[in-house]
Amino acid sequence: MDFDLTQDQRLVQEMVRKFAVNELEPVASEIDKTGEFPWSNIKKMAELGLLGVIVPEEYGGAGLDFLSLAIVIEEISKVCASTGVIVAVNNSLAAYPILAFGDVKQRQKYLPVLARAEQIGAIGLTEPNAGSDVAGLESTAVVDGDYYRLNGTKRFITNGVEAGVYVIFAYTDKTKGHKGLSAFIVDGDTPGFSRGDHEDLMGLRATGNCELIFEDAKVPKENLLGEEGQGFKIGMHTLDVSRIDIGAQSVGIAQGALEASVKYAKERTAFGKPIAQFQLIQAMVAEMATQIEAARFLVYHAAYLKDKQVPRFSKEASMAKWFAAEACLNAVRKAVQVHGGYGYTKDYPVERYYRDAKCMEIYEGTTEIQKIVIARSLLKD
Amino acid sequence: MRDIFVLAEHRRGELRDITIEMLTKGRELAECCGVPLTAVLLGHGVDRFAEKLASYADTVVLIDHPQLENFNSETYQAALSPLLEDRQPFLTLIGHTAFGIDVAPRLSAQSNIPLATDCIDIRCEDDRVFAVRQIYGGKLNAEVSYENAPQYLATIRPASFPVREYGLKGEIVRTDCPALKTPEREFLEYVEAPAGEVDITQADVIVAVGRGIKEKETLPLVEELAKSLGGVLACSRPIVDAGWLPKDRQVGSSGTIVAINKYPNAPVFNEADYGIVGDLFKVLPTLKEKIAELKSG
Amino acid sequence: MEIVVCMKRVPETGDAEIAVDSTGRDIVRDRLTYDINESDNYALEEAVLLKEKFGGTVTLVSMGPPETDETLRMGLAKGGDVAVRLWDHRFARSDGHATAFVLAKAIREMEFDLVLTGCIATDDGRTQVGVTIAALLGIPHATYVMKVDIEDGIATVQSELEGGLIAVNRMKTPALFTIQTGINEPRYPSLISIKKATAKEIRTLTLDDLGLEASSAGEEGSKTKIVKLTPPPVGKRAEILEGAPEVVSARLTEIFKEKGMI
Repeated sequence: MDFDLTQDQRLVQEMVRKFAVNELEPVASEIDKTGEFPWSNIKKMAELGLLGVIVPEEYGGAGLDFLSLAIVIEEISKVCASTGVIVAVNNSLAAYPILAFGDVKQRQKYLPVLARAEQIGAIGLTEPNAGSDVAGLESTAVVDGDYYRLNGTKRFITNGVEAGVYVIFAYTDKTKGHKGLSAFIVDGDTPGFSRGDHEDLMGLRATGNCELIFEDAKVPKENLLGEEGQGFKIGMHTLDVSRIDIGAQSVGIAQGALEASVKYAKERTAFGKPIAQFQLIQAMVAEMATQIEAARFLVYHAAYLKDKQVPRFSKEASMAKWFAAEACLNAVRKAVQVHGGYGYTKDYPVERYYRDAKCMEIYEGTTEIQKIVIARSLLKD
Repeated sequence: MRDIFVLAEHRRGELRDITIEMLTKGRELAECCGVPLTAVLLGHGVDRFAEKLASYADTVVLIDHPQLENFNSETYQAALSPLLEDRQPFLTLIGHTAFGIDVAPRLSAQSNIPLATDCIDIRCEDDRVFAVRQIYGGKLNAEVSYENAPQYLATIRPASFPVREYGLKGEIVRTDCPALKTPEREFLEYVEAPAGEVDITQADVIVAVGRGIKEKETLPLVEELAKSLGGVLACSRPIVDAGWLPKDRQVGSSGTIVAINKYPNAPVFNEADYGIVGDLFKVLPTLKEKIAELKSG
Repeated sequence: MEIVVCMKRVPETGDAEIAVDSTGRDIVRDRLTYDINESDNYALEEAVLLKEKFGGTVTLVSMGPPETDETLRMGLAKGGDVAVRLWDHRFARSDGHATAFVLAKAIREMEFDLVLTGCIATDDGRTQVGVTIAALLGIPHATYVMKVDIEDGIATVQSELEGGLIAVNRMKTPALFTIQTGINEPRYPSLISIKKATAKEIRTLTLDDLGLEASSAGEEGSKTKIVKLTPPPVGKRAEILEGAPEVVSARLTEIFKEKGMI
């Protein structure tokens, strides 16, 4: 078992780390305040290939593996979780399903566009009345000549405001239960499609989160992704992959919180010495670091299984996503605590990490859902 | 007798301060070793400098030649090598300046004289020379020894040594210039840095930032403080390199300098007049307040 | 245009706390991270820009132990075509001249129009190696270069002097320039260039490969030696104001008032 990153992966890590510190960190706090979608970050990242890490070179991507993508997302999220999630969604939730399930024409049409960030991608699964309950989705898609008429509303869609390529899930046949769900690639300028207001979120504030509204939206038939009825399978498989990335994001945020805490603890003095010398602070730092390390290995392992093309890795992906979210939440809570009163102000970045972190146990499948996925894989006959 | 040589540095009609600093230290070394101190002046039409140098040195070797009018590392080295070969000074000091850095390594290589650069201190013990230089951006001092050699060469960091007047009347010796080839490098001209919207050299108060501020967002806070002091915002080189502020904001190191740094050993405290060991994000707002209070009350 | 870029792998000590090791002549290195010397990175970018303009190849040269390969590999990802690493345990603890001597020996065997180096190494701060290489190779040089223009084998360069003043010099190639930071904006290597870099060659040459005598390299070949390292005296010039932000701010405001700044 080789626990080392390859030389390429190490170089990728080094490059993204430097890029993140020099280019993303200086504006992270500002975009969180203003909620501005960071197009200048995205343009720079697109040039380096970061918006299409796992898109094959023949489609204009970098053609790297999922472990490399996890590394990219971790390093970015360490300084800016909003930018990290934009990259994760573009790669795993928009580009990946098209890569894995799209036909040649769809791949040729959309993958280069996403890899170069000529358009940003987003996924529309969640609805106002259905988050965890995928069977409870209400959006419908009905054949009408050369089109599907799409009706419904999607809620809390990351990248929603600025995206131009959406992967949308709707029922083509409600009678078949989850086997009646289908997936579609929807262009941003589709007639009948509109976007709701920009959500005012607790954290991940610069991700252009909004509602997507479909009112008899005309989606060309050739934009059906895979086959009718394949939607559930496409959705679940895509989430398995994206959970690796959200796990990586959690590790990144947690690592950022840890490093900030270590730095602060060495500088801040109380009772005549740096607080780093007090055991209770030391305990907090030790706990954070160990949990982050464990989370990182779960994420890397899930990525490794995906790269090895193991047919089922849902359990490992869910373990990684859930555990990393827990590690992240523990880390940011301790980080604010280490910073004391200053951690509660906006003068220090840890309060942003705290707000960003909460979403880790909610989106891409709540922690509760992850546990069910894991249990099911162990308890099913 | 083996002298101590000091290479005078001048540019555009002015003798540069480093020269006098080196002569002051040179005199101290010369007295310690019981040897004469010689100033070496290369140039064209620079007699007035020779007279000034004579007040610090026992001898001024003046080599006047049209080809030496503007600094050129090749011609300067070509003039110095035969002089050093002939006179065999024990130690030669050159300023660690743009010019000095340009010529000293070349002189060292061509004349085979060991060189230590950017020295902040230098001393002679018997026939050996020891220098002190800074490494890791000033975080540590390194004591450097030279292997036994007939001559030694060192470049001296500006502002390392205070200046003293000696009021001597050294002998000015006009020395022939060796035959100089046309150098491969041709000096064309000097160009002044373009003037920006803010001339920090005219400011009474400068509040400067370095890499420690981490976020561009901090600049407005610092600029406010600068304005409340009746001054301007300036910065160190890395901030200019990163494109956060234009070149005309890059600061040198003159005037009353107050440094704020969280590390007690920060090298900046060696350059500053006043130092505060602390967090700039805590000190600046408090300072702004106090200044505002004083101004109003 | 054939360009040689000299690169050094240095420890990142900007934010780190450095301690003197038990020998008293070096620092404790186990917790340090390493990177390409900052001004060498600008030199590399300048070389790649010139290559993009004129065609040709960029050869990276570095004197360093095996770990240096990673830095060279990143250099190849940024646009270098081939890398040469010079190493022998007998190269250790070289001073400026000895380092330049080894590098010049290797470079002499190469075909080049330009040699670019950084203007200063952030670890030892010597500013010596570049100019020494030029002298040993017998080519003209310029230091602290902020602008390079080349036409028909003639280079016109701007060198930064004190106070923002610039000296403009002209010379024929082959020539050597030590490059100042800020001359360009060094690129980040894209993911694809990182992938491509794995296929590029890093050659290693030892003391014997270079045909050198042990006496001309490393500590043996160095005429200056580090005797010991010490921390600099604290606050040599600065009057340190102590206390909480409130207290120091009040005192500083007093000082400003005394000096007539307010």
